[in-house]
Amino acid sequence: MHAGESSSLRGAVWVLHMRSGRAVTLLAGLWLAVAAYAQDSGEKESWLTRSGYYKVSYTSELTPVTINKIHHWIFHIENAAGEPVNNATVSITGGMPEHNHGLPTSPRMTDALDDGNYMLEGVRFHMRGFWELTVTVEAGGRRDTVVIPLTI
Amino acid sequence: MTTGGRRKIIAMLSVALAATAWWQYGPRSPAEWTTSDLVVLQSLSLNNLPALPADPSNAVADEPRAAEFGHKLFFDTRLSANGAVSCATCHQPTRHFSDSFQKGRGIGLSGRNTRSIVGSAYSPWQYWDGRRDTQWAQALSPLEDPAEHGGNRMQFARFISIEPVYRAEYETLFGQLPDFSDRRRFPEAAAPLQDPTMSAAWHSMSAEDQHSVNTVFANIGKAIAAYERLLLPGTSRFDQYVQAVADDKQEQADELLTDDEIIGLQLFIGKARCTECHNGPLFTNNEFHNTGVLSFPNEVPDRGRTDGLKKVLADPFNCAGIFSDDPSRRCDELVYVRTGIELLGAMRTPSLRNLGGTAPYSHKGQHATLAEVIDLYNRAPLAMIGHNEAEDKLYLSRRERKQLEAFLNTLAAPLATAEKWLELP
Repeated sequence: MHAGESSSLRGAVWVLHMRSGRAVTLLAGLWLAVAAYAQDSGEKESWLTRSGYYKVSYTSELTPVTINKIHHWIFHIENAAGEPVNNATVSITGGMPEHNHGLPTSPRMTDALDDGNYMLEGVRFHMRGFWELTVTVEAGGRRDTVVIPLTI
Repeated sequence: MTTGGRRKIIAMLSVALAATAWWQYGPRSPAEWTTSDLVVLQSLSLNNLPALPADPSNAVADEPRAAEFGHKLFFDTRLSANGAVSCATCHQPTRHFSDSFQKGRGIGLSGRNTRSIVGSAYSPWQYWDGRRDTQWAQALSPLEDPAEHGGNRMQFARFISIEPVYRAEYETLFGQLPDFSDRRRFPEAAAPLQDPTMSAAWHSMSAEDQHSVNTVFANIGKAIAAYERLLLPGTSRFDQYVQAVADDKQEQADELLTDDEIIGLQLFIGKARCTECHNGPLFTNNEFHNTGVLSFPNEVPDRGRTDGLKKVLADPFNCAGIFSDDPSRRCDELVYVRTGIELLGAMRTPSLRNLGGTAPYSHKGQHATLAEVIDLYNRAPLAMIGHNEAEDKLYLSRRERKQLEAFLNTLAAPLATAEKWLELP
């Protein structure tokens, strides 16, 4: 399951807070809560870049990812052998393919942290729906990209 | 023709007529809400409006005395070239802090439609084109616009320093005012504007004196912003309906919205795709979109955000400038701002709360009624400049368009702001 689906699951769990008396809603909410919990406690989702050089995963400052709030993401980059990649440059573009528009901001890498982690600031989404984020990683002259799907 | 043949034709015509009628008028009773619908409804409810975001660029943003001072400034017509224009001239409390004109009317005719400033504390951008990035920087701009207040910063700084009540209030909040009485150092009128006399006077001043005038000018904006932060939308019938549905109080919910209004709401979050931009409890993402609105008659199409972006980056009173009170000057929205061709002709999404009384609509008041706005999205015309993001026609029937409009009117509500702030101080 993709990280994007996980965040939409967590969004759906929110239904529980609406104190709906409808048994169906409650049951569906409970099921989703369990599913989301299982997802959270599991290993973080990662994506392999096109040429297979890097494995990319991320943690968002916002859990779940919500709209209309500027925030940062931390990307974790590993090589094919599963070792953290340091001294990389990570960049991100993206948009909603169904709406033919890009991100409402221009996020940028602002810091290289330890253990293959990279800080990207200035992320914001302005619509619910299906987004695609193109992440480009460049390290030691090897450049590779991956498209990460995200449903908000 | 045989009787059987005639019957066949009549039957076929009846079916065709019924089908046309159904397509034309759409459903008359709403469908049940699905689980995912309920999530969207909650996301639009005022109950889920986050706490007022801090404005670190304005040290007095949440200072009650600043709001009191700003309240007086907001309604004071002396802050203009002709003594007849105040902020409230266009941002009228009785009209949801907007007016009833296509374009704002101050000393002259403003360039665009007056936006409501209710809830603007939640937006990272101000104006239709986002040419200002804080409420206080926005408040400064009309004061010097020749078509609006038509004044100059020197005039305003001196006015605050000689008006005894304002002088006292200012000094309590911001410290001692400079002495502007020396006309050789501080001319009668001066500002870095297009007007050559005003500009020459400004450039004859020392950098230090310019800075002290700019500081007082910025502080006027900060006091006005402290007041404007209090202008917030109130609970509407729509919000009450969402609460009733969430509490599973069906009877109460049925009394709150009519079937047509509920169907309108279903169209709003579904087929009409309104929540793509009009999302969140304020019904706006505060982002910039080109939606193919026609240019104002006899005017070239408005470049919108493309020009607004240049202006906000060049504004000395922006979040990253020296008049910002934020020591870190993080200004994420400004630092990570988007550029590109998508911004051509794009305007900032307006809130939909309290649309009644704020007609006409769109950035130059091109649409006299809500029905006209809905019709625009239904037709999805080609943009005159740039690219219409909402390029897919909606195929809403006449009945559906009316239902959508009926829903929009359920968002009307008195402000959540105490009455005293809505009246002359």
